[in-house]
Amino acid sequence: MMSEENNGEIFMSEKRLVIPGEKVADEPIRMDGCYIENNATYASVVSMAQDDKVVPLKGKYLPISGDYVVGIVSEERFSGFTIDINSPYEGQISSRELRDPLRVEDVVFVKIAFADEVNNAALTDLRRLYGGEILEIEPVKVPRVIGRNMSMVSMIRDYTGTDIFVGKNGRLYLKGNNSALAIEAILKICREAHTTGLTDRIKNFLESQAQPRENQTEPQQS
Amino acid sequence: MSSSNPNKPKLIQNGKRISGRSFTDLRPLKITAGVLKQADGSAMIEWGKNRIIAAVYGPHEVFPKFLTDNRKALVSARYVMAPFSSLEDHGRSGPNRRSIEISKVAKHVFENVILTNKFPKTIIDIHMDVVQSDGGTRIAAITAASVALADAGIPMKDLVAGVAVGKVDGELVVDLDKLEDNHGESDGAVIISPRSGEVLLFQMEGLLTPDEVKRTVRLASDAALKVREVQVAALKERYAQVASEQGEQLL
Repeated sequence: MMSEENNGEIFMSEKRLVIPGEKVADEPIRMDGCYIENNATYASVVSMAQDDKVVPLKGKYLPISGDYVVGIVSEERFSGFTIDINSPYEGQISSRELRDPLRVEDVVFVKIAFADEVNNAALTDLRRLYGGEILEIEPVKVPRVIGRNMSMVSMIRDYTGTDIFVGKNGRLYLKGNNSALAIEAILKICREAHTTGLTDRIKNFLESQAQPRENQTEPQQS
Repeated sequence: MSSSNPNKPKLIQNGKRISGRSFTDLRPLKITAGVLKQADGSAMIEWGKNRIIAAVYGPHEVFPKFLTDNRKALVSARYVMAPFSSLEDHGRSGPNRRSIEISKVAKHVFENVILTNKFPKTIIDIHMDVVQSDGGTRIAAITAASVALADAGIPMKDLVAGVAVGKVDGELVVDLDKLEDNHGESDGAVIISPRSGEVLLFQMEGLLTPDEVKRTVRLASDAALKVREVQVAALKERYAQVASEQGEQLL
């Protein structure tokens, strides 16, 4: 009885930190970072919970079909390549998918074609990346870096003139003259990922540090 | 038995224990999460004079590969005492007969709470290093490792917590220190899952009546709830600190 009353209060709206084993809902809901027992949902990792939405604060990347990831070629095999996708599991790509052979330590942007029940990832749609930088962040923070409809990442792209490839696996590839500012902005997003009004704050930050691309290119032309 | 030891101090006087605590008082307990940069998750526990560092790596690929389990993640636990961890000589560093046993029981505790089926074909490494010891280190180590696992973002059913309960001068007391451990009649280490109340570890030496065993588990369950509060506080401090800082900045 007590718990029901408490839950009623807790679930109002406040964002709260939940700890493994803490009840997040009285009904079974399938969610990331949760498990179901006795018709109730419990958190399994440290997460931020709001109403019955749960967002894990930490965790390794698990390959999911359709995700784009930034990988590093780790090994050449008989019929393809093994690619490190910043996960406990490796990705495999067949040579048939490739026009040119890869070399070990090449950086690639690649799509996960299919991930099976033991998380083996078959890769496809590969693209090699040259001459930029790699930034590794917590995979759980990637959705914040991307933003709704890519709003965040395209804003950083516009303000810093940096090409950004965001891998769902928490690896980012950046290329451009002002990538240092882009990295700073992305790390700021990661630190403040769970706060509200983040897009505005990042916009202010970028505005104070740099000019949008249009303004930046004008002096160069003249 | 130890009770016949002529050097045995009087462990209970005027209803208080030799350390001045009541029968159910815990020693001062503090846990800090995220003390190591390199590890995926880590925690340090300061429980009385105990100082233990726990680190978690993984899940990662299993080596050698033939040990791989296609259905679930393996758990490896390693408990060791530093040679300088107490007054008694712990010889050369590295595992010995005692620590191999504790590593094994710790592994079984964590196998029961980690959702291992989420990470097939991998292994999760848990390291527990006792830097300074004063009785009850296996409990403290597992309690710290539990926080380290949560810090590493490894999915678990619950944060496990525990306490040692023993019989000292005929009384059941909670959280024995080294003197009580060495000179008491019995001592039992209990790890429970506070959410479900399951007992995940119960090791005992000495003699207790069946009724005393039941009371031991009950006392340990109550104490484990207090320990869990400290664990939760440690994790909240680690993760909510950023949030509150940002909140202040917003104002």
